[in-house]
Amino acid sequence: MGAPNGPCQTRVQVLSVQNLGTDVFVMRCFCPEIAKRARPGQFVHVKCGDDRAYILRRPFSIHRVTSDNAFELLIRKVGKGTKYLSTVTPQSQLDMIGPLGTGFDIPEPTKKAVVVAGGLCVAPMMFLAEELIARHIRLYTVIGAQSRDELYYYMDFKRMGRDVYVATDDSSQGHGGFASDLVPRAIEDGAPDVIYACGPHEMLAAVAGCAREYRIPCQVSLEASMACGVGACLSCACETTEGPQRVCVEGPVFDADRIEW
Amino acid sequence: MKNPVMTASGTFGSGREYADFINLDRLGAIVVKGVTREPRAGNPTPRICETPSGMLNAIGLQNPGVERFIAEDLKWLAPLGVPVIVNIAGGTVTEYSDVARTLSRAGGVAGLEVNISCPNVKRGGISFGCDPEMTVKVVAAVRKAAPGLPLIVKLTPAAGDVVGVAEAAAAAGADALSLINTFPGMSIDTETFEPRLGSTTGGLSGPAIRPIAVKMVFDVSRAVRVPIIGMGGISTAQDAIEFMLAGASAVAVGTANFVDPKATIDIIEGLERFVRVRCIDSITSIIGAVKVR
Ligand SMILES: Cc1cc2nc3c(=O)[nH]c(=O)nc-3n(C[C@H](O)[C@H](O)[C@H](O)COP(=O)(O)OP(=O)(O)OC[C@H]3O[C@@H](n4cnc5c(N)ncnc54)[C@H](O)[C@@H]3O)c2cc1C
Ligand SMILES: Cc1cc2nc3c(=O)[nH]c(=O)nc-3n(C[C@H](O)[C@H](O)[C@H](O)COP(=O)(O)O)c2cc1C
Ligand code: FES
Repeated sequence: MGAPNGPCQTRVQVLSVQNLGTDVFVMRCFCPEIAKRARPGQFVHVKCGDDRAYILRRPFSIHRVTSDNAFELLIRKVGKGTKYLSTVTPQSQLDMIGPLGTGFDIPEPTKKAVVVAGGLCVAPMMFLAEELIARHIRLYTVIGAQSRDELYYYMDFKRMGRDVYVATDDSSQGHGGFASDLVPRAIEDGAPDVIYACGPHEMLAAVAGCAREYRIPCQVSLEASMACGVGACLSCACETTEGPQRVCVEGPVFDADRIEW
Repeated sequence: MKNPVMTASGTFGSGREYADFINLDRLGAIVVKGVTREPRAGNPTPRICETPSGMLNAIGLQNPGVERFIAEDLKWLAPLGVPVIVNIAGGTVTEYSDVARTLSRAGGVAGLEVNISCPNVKRGGISFGCDPEMTVKVVAAVRKAAPGLPLIVKLTPAAGDVVGVAEAAAAAGADALSLINTFPGMSIDTETFEPRLGSTTGGLSGPAIRPIAVKMVFDVSRAVRVPIIGMGGISTAQDAIEFMLAGASAVAVGTANFVDPKATIDIIEGLERFVRVRCIDSITSIIGAVKVR
């Protein structure tokens, strides 16, 4: 039972819940088992309260891991489960399974990388960016959001590498349009060894298209509705060149050219 | 079986997926996901959605086909020493008997669970399980194809006459019956007006179906002599006891595994505690012990 690097089910202590804006918050959790094992791109499957009417767990990307055995989740309130999590008080405990899934791969040698994050899918990309920086890889970051108030991590990315490309749906900052529109520019500026992307499906398909055009390897993080989160129920299937694969085990990160867009 | 708690097909993968969380060899038996003769890609996504006290699923029997199942999953499972029950499905009677024959020659299989109750496939599945005559045909064919293996026939709550189907299955050679499979259901997104499942309809599982399941176990256990494996929304030892009181000899845990990977173990321990606290010889003494007024 329990491979040393495999996932575990554990009670996680909530350290803080901090609002970033309307409906978005960061939950900081203490849990050595998860923090020590987590890799960028992996997620946790969280039991959101004891409401008997809504019993399934909710998946959230690991947003950041810090040296004090803590990790963070970046969450948008969209429904019952996320609303519950937004009300959890420090010191309370949550039942989580994790870290789950296959995260981003950083091939050797990588010197430069383009990181594309659309909307709240910036969550796993912060963990990835910090890992890339720790490995002295130069970042070209493309972030998209609905409007400038939702570019939560602009300053953080700016600190990690001066090349940050911004797109907003309402043109309130940077390019007015999709983050994927800016990917060709980032590729031409950076000549990256690899592209990493997380965001809405259409955006990922567009980024994958760019990557193919420029012949640069690209990894994308997908979402799917999940029940078990551990590979048992096959609810999270996605079509790949090798047949259906489980987003929760073989993913959420896939090589873009393996996905049937 | 060392205890009456098993896993419900399709909710526990091939067992391996839960090896990180529990000691698989504590389980009474592992019932693996549905296997068909040929590989199946399954249904379009989304394949699940949550509903009050339960969920709808329309996986569509995605599986690698019986040959790869034997070469990969069964090979991993067999050495564990836990009885492995393979859930089999097909679109025609011949497909059922072909899978059964292949599995009976494989070794390491403790029994077959014949799924004539899947609501998520176009042919076979539930359409067989709603019709006593078709039930007889499938069960008799599987019985003949795998003479040495214990046969469990899995029933659907959607059959108009569940007791009739149960009697037909028993008469055709079933050694046990399992019930219930999921109940056909549907959910619609009121923002987009679209069904919340990729294949429009699916099967309802979880605590929402428990009272329906308990009644069916009760009805069927009074009509047939073969043992019954009860399932449908079992999440705690108390739920398992309820099914046994209604007439189930064993129970299977499905959706609860998604909620808590340790669910089966908690239930096994809860049953052990019940036996101690109640000072009864064995949990089997409560089978069918409901006191009907
Ligand atoms: C691998 C993975 C990683 C994820 N990481 C994050 C993360 O880091 N931060 C974060 O905020 N969310 C993340 N999500 C999405 C998150 O799981 C859902 O937002 C959450 O399950 C919603 O739960 P709820 O109970 O609040 O909403 P529900 O009450 O279940 O649903 C409310 C509304 O939200 C919609 N909704 C439900 N699930 C999703 C979804 N997956 N995506 C978009 N809309 C959805 C529903 O259609 C419904 O309209 C991730 C999902 C996956 C699969
Ligand atoms: C995701 C999922 C997949 C299932 N797959 C199968 C299957 O392949 N074969 C089968 O006989 N039953 C299948 N079932 C039905 C379960 O085995 C069980 O009969 C049903 O879910 C009721 O039990 P529960 O409420 O404890 O989940 C599936 C159920 C779920 C939720
Ligand atoms: S969520 Fe169950 S297999 Fe991926």
